[in-house]
Amino acid sequence: MANMPAMNAFSDLIKQLWQRLGSMSLAVILLMVLSIASVIGTVLLQNQDQADYLNQFGPLWYWLFRALGLFDMYHTWWFLSILGFLMLSLTACLWRNVPKMLKEMRNRKGTLNERSLKRMELRKQWRLAADTPVDALQAAFKKPLHGWEVSAVEQDGTTYIRADKGRNHKWGYISVHTAILVILIGGLVSVQFGFRGNMGVPEGKMEKTITFSQGTETAYLDMPFQVRCNTFNIDFFQTGAPKEFRSNLTILEDGKEMLTSDIIVNEPLYYKGVYIYQASFGDGGSDVTFKFYQMDGSQKTRLASTQVYKTLNDPETGLAIEVTDFRPYNVENIAEKFGEKKFKDIGPSIEYILRGEGLKPVKIKAYMNPYIDADGNNQGSWMMVSLTGDSKDYQPVSLGIDLTNPKEWQLYHAFLSRMNEQQGTQSEKANLQAFKLALTDVFGTDRPDDFQNMGVRTLQAVRMLPQLPWPIIPMLDDFNHVYYTGLQLAKDPGMNIVWVGSAILVIGLCIMFYLPHRKLWLVIRSADGVSHITLAGLTNRNQLAFKQTFNDLFTKLDEEFSHHKNKGSNNI
Amino acid sequence: MSATTAEISIMAGMNQGRWALTRFYAYIGMSLGLGAMAMYGTGGYNEDAFLYQILSIQGLIWGGTGALIGTGLAATLSTMKPSMLEGRVAPNTVPWLDGALLMVILASIAALFEPAASQISYEDQSNLIAGNIIMAMNIVFIFSAVAYIAYLFAPENFIGRIATGSAYFGIYAGGTALLLRWHESYMIDVEIGHAPVSNLYEVFIVLFMITAAVYLSFERRYQAKGMGAFVMLLVSAGVFFGIWLDSVGQADIKPLVPALQSYWMKIHVPMNFVGYGAFAVACAAGMAYLVRHRMEEKGSNSKMLNVFPSLEQLDQLAYKSVAVGFPAFTLATILGAAWAAEAWGGYWSWDPKETWALIVWLVYGAYLHARVSHGWHGKALAWWAVAGFLVTVFCFLGVNMYLSGLHSYGRLT
Repeated sequence: MANMPAMNAFSDLIKQLWQRLGSMSLAVILLMVLSIASVIGTVLLQNQDQADYLNQFGPLWYWLFRALGLFDMYHTWWFLSILGFLMLSLTACLWRNVPKMLKEMRNRKGTLNERSLKRMELRKQWRLAADTPVDALQAAFKKPLHGWEVSAVEQDGTTYIRADKGRNHKWGYISVHTAILVILIGGLVSVQFGFRGNMGVPEGKMEKTITFSQGTETAYLDMPFQVRCNTFNIDFFQTGAPKEFRSNLTILEDGKEMLTSDIIVNEPLYYKGVYIYQASFGDGGSDVTFKFYQMDGSQKTRLASTQVYKTLNDPETGLAIEVTDFRPYNVENIAEKFGEKKFKDIGPSIEYILRGEGLKPVKIKAYMNPYIDADGNNQGSWMMVSLTGDSKDYQPVSLGIDLTNPKEWQLYHAFLSRMNEQQGTQSEKANLQAFKLALTDVFGTDRPDDFQNMGVRTLQAVRMLPQLPWPIIPMLDDFNHVYYTGLQLAKDPGMNIVWVGSAILVIGLCIMFYLPHRKLWLVIRSADGVSHITLAGLTNRNQLAFKQTFNDLFTKLDEEFSHHKNKGSNNI
Repeated sequence: MSATTAEISIMAGMNQGRWALTRFYAYIGMSLGLGAMAMYGTGGYNEDAFLYQILSIQGLIWGGTGALIGTGLAATLSTMKPSMLEGRVAPNTVPWLDGALLMVILASIAALFEPAASQISYEDQSNLIAGNIIMAMNIVFIFSAVAYIAYLFAPENFIGRIATGSAYFGIYAGGTALLLRWHESYMIDVEIGHAPVSNLYEVFIVLFMITAAVYLSFERRYQAKGMGAFVMLLVSAGVFFGIWLDSVGQADIKPLVPALQSYWMKIHVPMNFVGYGAFAVACAAGMAYLVRHRMEEKGSNSKMLNVFPSLEQLDQLAYKSVAVGFPAFTLATILGAAWAAEAWGGYWSWDPKETWALIVWLVYGAYLHARVSHGWHGKALAWWAVAGFLVTVFCFLGVNMYLSGLHSYGRLT
């Protein structure tokens, strides 16, 4: 017995909580909290490398943010709880209001008490002769109301004619709120029973596992099949912008080929509930051969082979060359004037980090071919050098001579030794003399046509090459290019639920906004030998348009009723 | 004045009753005819060639037959059931469809003045004429803003008509220029050709058009001319941004990145801008409300108050704009999710653009709750409409400029 009040208090508390949950204020607050929380995740880049975060924020903030889960915010317990609360609030709101609304929609009470009538904002009155037949009035009322439901009742000598339009308006409200619940449930199903991850497959290789980030860690998942990338191709526009990324994939199960198909961006492949999307691409570990140009004056060159993503150690010089990327094409704007455009493929390039004892590590992007300017002149071999290791700080370095032409390498050395013979006389005339002799040393009498250009470039090489701190210049000599295709694999059993919810949402919104519930009454009461007629209107949406409709109706009725007018119309 | 009245009544008659219904059915018939052509016509549907198929003899035959059948059907049905003539859908829709048709015709005429194919190159697009039409649109929109502001201070009927007329002109110029740009993109190179909703510069024009169109439809129905100054000020601000984009070389037609090469782009992007445009009008109504409120508070008896819509009307207009924008924006977001599901492997990735779209949606969702269920009105909601638009602008511009993510193709380069 003693428990009873406590129980009551408890159930009261639950009841009150339930009431609060379904309240509008809570809903508005939840919506605002959800939007503010969402902002954080857009300002703070999500799911990046932890080291980057640590660098960016320093240890204190890093640990704080990490503890709050801000690096994978949309999957933290607190963010999901807000969504959970929203679902609870929606449920409570529907639970409380739906029965009321259904009842209201079923309610077809025609009568209207005096008080409600007086409260209506849209109201007009006439006084007509008492013998005016109700049928005629009803007909006049009904005529312009095309598509309205009209019903009439009589009570205590007063006739109430009620017209309704958009009686099902409240279904809009119900479906919109249900739809959001359905969408959230769909999302939950997606998260719980679906997956989404990345897979990089080099051309000619096979892969079975996808990786995805889970909080601050990387997780792995095996697919029930294997994916082989047969080929990967990029098509370019004439501007050098990529036009199409296309992978030719084969799906295998236990070594048996099940399906071979092409995929491109926007056109995924579907296999056994899993969608396979074209997401990215990169170098799949191409074979590359360097040619080292020795800077010791010996005129020697050496070849060394490696692969992209590997580090080549050169025992002779003690240099380590970490190859980071290879590109078979580089379409660039080679127009000289600012604002003009002339796109051209300037050939393959290799990117590497050069390290050595006593050397500042640098990032280099070396082009295989010499730079040919817009007028078709050979400007010699060149590379981009970044002293910071950041691609933003790349500075072009023109090596002067065209290293793809062995004769020019020879010419450079011949020029150097001829200059040495002059023992330091550095006049223009002496330079010209030395170059002429060097030309004869290399080419004999058979001078190339563009020897003047070559002279300018050799001079540039003499100025530039000795400045370089490295014992060798590693240039790209040969390559066998392999791409990897970056695939995204996803299974999403919640997706269809979300689409159903979305459809209901849109339909519900249309009902809510565009099918307002409009009510019109014509109340006819005879007293003192006069027929008092009141036209009243009520809507829950779009007052402006309804006012117009109401006034139009009034004008029409006024015209109709003018035959029956008694003591002049008396409009309010 | 009688000439004006006659003109107006002819215009009104065109958009009502039998005329409206007949045209409405003709348009539907034409669309169905063209749809049938896509399915059964020679050559079938080809994404790149369809625009020209529509404008060819084949398109004329299919579309024309559809339109004729539609006309016949309308005549028969309206005779059999005269009450059909009183429906609201046809008169409300037909002016928009007329406008679209007029834009196509204008663009087709303007296309005749394009330079010869040999003169057109990707590298130098300055000889294409859509750019000139866009410049004309810019000037006209700014002029319209000036005229609307002048109207506030000197509420002459004449000035008001000029303001409205120039706003209409701006819309048609914008629409014509965009259609022409579509054509031009194919003239540069069939491979490059794409719908003109692929970069910030193009969608800005779409935004001006929709904002102005939503406002003008309100002006026509609710005599809200005093609000025009605010709407057109917003549009002008956008116009200056567009001019700046042009000056930094963002106005060129560029090929589409693979992620955008999808029919979804043609649906998702314009639908989004219906939302943005309507929210812009809501913001203008909110601003007008705040200005009028301020003036009334100070006890001003300026003549301006006579041309301003009443506080109640402005309140309603802001709500009406949100009521147009919210469902459109919801639909656009859903369409975006559908596209994302097809292109990126998930309908929702918490990408900054997506998240901000959600924030915009939540802000206006809260607005509707506050208004409809909480019965909020007036000043607080006017501020809300203004603030909501600021959030929208951030979603539309700020995300592209400051945050990285999957929508980075909208980025300034």
